[in-house]
Amino acid sequence: MGIFVMRRWLIALFVLAACRPSGRPPVGPSVQDDAGRTVTLAAPARRIVSLLPSFTELVFAMGAGDRLVGRTAWCDYPPAALAVPSVGDGMPPNVEAVAARRPDLVLLYHSGTNLTAGQQLAGLGVPVALLHLDRLEDLGPAARRIGRLTGRVAQAESLAAAMDSLAAAKPLAPNPQSLVFVVWDNPPIVIGHGSYLDRLAALAGARNVFADVAAPSAQVSLETIAARDPDWIAVLSDSSGPPAFAARREWRAVRAVREGRFLNLPGSLFGRPGPRSSQAVAELRARLEAAP
Amino acid sequence: MRWVALGVAAALAFVASVVLGPAAVPLGDLARSDIVWSLRAPRTVLAFLVGGSLGVAGAGLQALVRNPLADPFLLGLSGGAGLGAVVAIATHLSGPWALPLAAFAGALGALALVYRLGLVGCAALDPRILLLGGVAVGAFAAAVTTAIVALADAAELRNAFLWLWGGLSAASWDSVLVLTLYAPLPLAVLFAAARPLDLLALGEEPARYLGADVERVKRRVYLAASLLTAAAVAVSGVIGFVGLVVPHIVRLAWGHRHRALLPAAFIGGGALLVFADTVARTVVAPRELPVGVVTALVGVPIFALLLRRWTVA
Repeated sequence: MGIFVMRRWLIALFVLAACRPSGRPPVGPSVQDDAGRTVTLAAPARRIVSLLPSFTELVFAMGAGDRLVGRTAWCDYPPAALAVPSVGDGMPPNVEAVAARRPDLVLLYHSGTNLTAGQQLAGLGVPVALLHLDRLEDLGPAARRIGRLTGRVAQAESLAAAMDSLAAAKPLAPNPQSLVFVVWDNPPIVIGHGSYLDRLAALAGARNVFADVAAPSAQVSLETIAARDPDWIAVLSDSSGPPAFAARREWRAVRAVREGRFLNLPGSLFGRPGPRSSQAVAELRARLEAAP
Repeated sequence: MRWVALGVAAALAFVASVVLGPAAVPLGDLARSDIVWSLRAPRTVLAFLVGGSLGVAGAGLQALVRNPLADPFLLGLSGGAGLGAVVAIATHLSGPWALPLAAFAGALGALALVYRLGLVGCAALDPRILLLGGVAVGAFAAAVTTAIVALADAAELRNAFLWLWGGLSAASWDSVLVLTLYAPLPLAVLFAAARPLDLLALGEEPARYLGADVERVKRRVYLAASLLTAAAVAVSGVIGFVGLVVPHIVRLAWGHRHRALLPAAFIGGGALLVFADTVARTVVAPRELPVGVVTALVGVPIFALLLRRWTVA
């Protein structure tokens, strides 16, 4: 075992020595990712695979969209992203499909299952950055590091500054309107405190009636929703009609359902933190103010 | 005396379920509260009907296959129902009743397959083949379900697994009405088979000598118990352990006579599920536990105690 490891190291050393252009040390960008690894590139990335819709939006927003050579099936914004080849749904990442795009940078969402994929890709010699992107606060740091790795530092900095100020913004003057984010209807699953959507609601001046639930999402009883009596039922949906559960009799116990007060929030804009988060806040605010 | 105790337990479970809940409803307002009338009361009644149906179905199936491990969901029904539900979600079937109807259809499909597998020579049901066929069909359906979840685009499919863990959150007077109209027929078939089921416990040959039409009884009991379970899974998902544990507990007090055992299993199963659902709704409020988790947490220790008593005795 020890001998094999040593031999592998020696081979790697020879290979490195052979590959390195003589006399010119690498001066590429280097960042610390959220898995605690140092990601060093020989030069700003030219072939990027983004495995999270938010990363794809960030890369496009800093003007490096033409360098994307792979995306997930979920990356649908901006429309130009659809022209980038998809490498699958990314849950978990298909390591072979990613490597086949011959990327010089892979942007991975930092999670338990993605750690393995990250190691496998690193083992193939593909540079990988594992970044958090769950909350508004994660956007700025992620944008700055992607900017460094792609050589788009100035653009990334102005993006990051805007997102940092949104993350630091105080909730607007409390709007009297309250809402519940219903993620699923049977059993009812709602968005709780500390999640991205809860934060969006606060910034838009609405009160999430389940802000006391410490989890990002949780199964709750229908009678709790009825008793907390939100003014609005918010659902992530691209259609305009009421959700299917609105027709179910037990849901009629909730006043907002009886009165048809649904907020259909398009998943592409509201479902993820990204450069359009402030747009999402503004739209939610406008929808709440326009309503009677 | 035993009946009085059972009745009191059921009544207590009913009262607790209507009075307790995550929403604070003052006692004086109970009768006027919309939350109680349109959510808690139908949920309590539905829990009782589902728990009772599972208890009777479990008692009937345990007698039929002469195996104490038999559970209504062992016979492939949960796998079929889950497949139906996931197909409904993946294909975006619309309509408020799409999910329960698809689950019911899936359970019926699994039932038909297992029944056909279990029929030997087109007439005789072999209990061992029923069990093995049920496990096989269930495993196959579960594999197809997982493949759909893995391949389909809908992120919401993961929530279908939560539904499969069982829950009564979809309870309404509509679902109570549907089950009230549906359940009496299979229940009556099972209650009518009480005497032949007693005989069946002696073995198929002796039962035949004592005058039971063994083949007809087996077919009827299997179909009635499965149809009850299919309806239960359609309105409330897979609620485990009620159908397994309740018949055993009831047998301790009422013995092996099905004339008493089956009604007791109905009331006992209903009371247990009403109690478990009250726990699921209140113990982590405002959050809620899947009721199948509570029945397993309550049911497994009881079951383990029973196993100890049997092995010691």
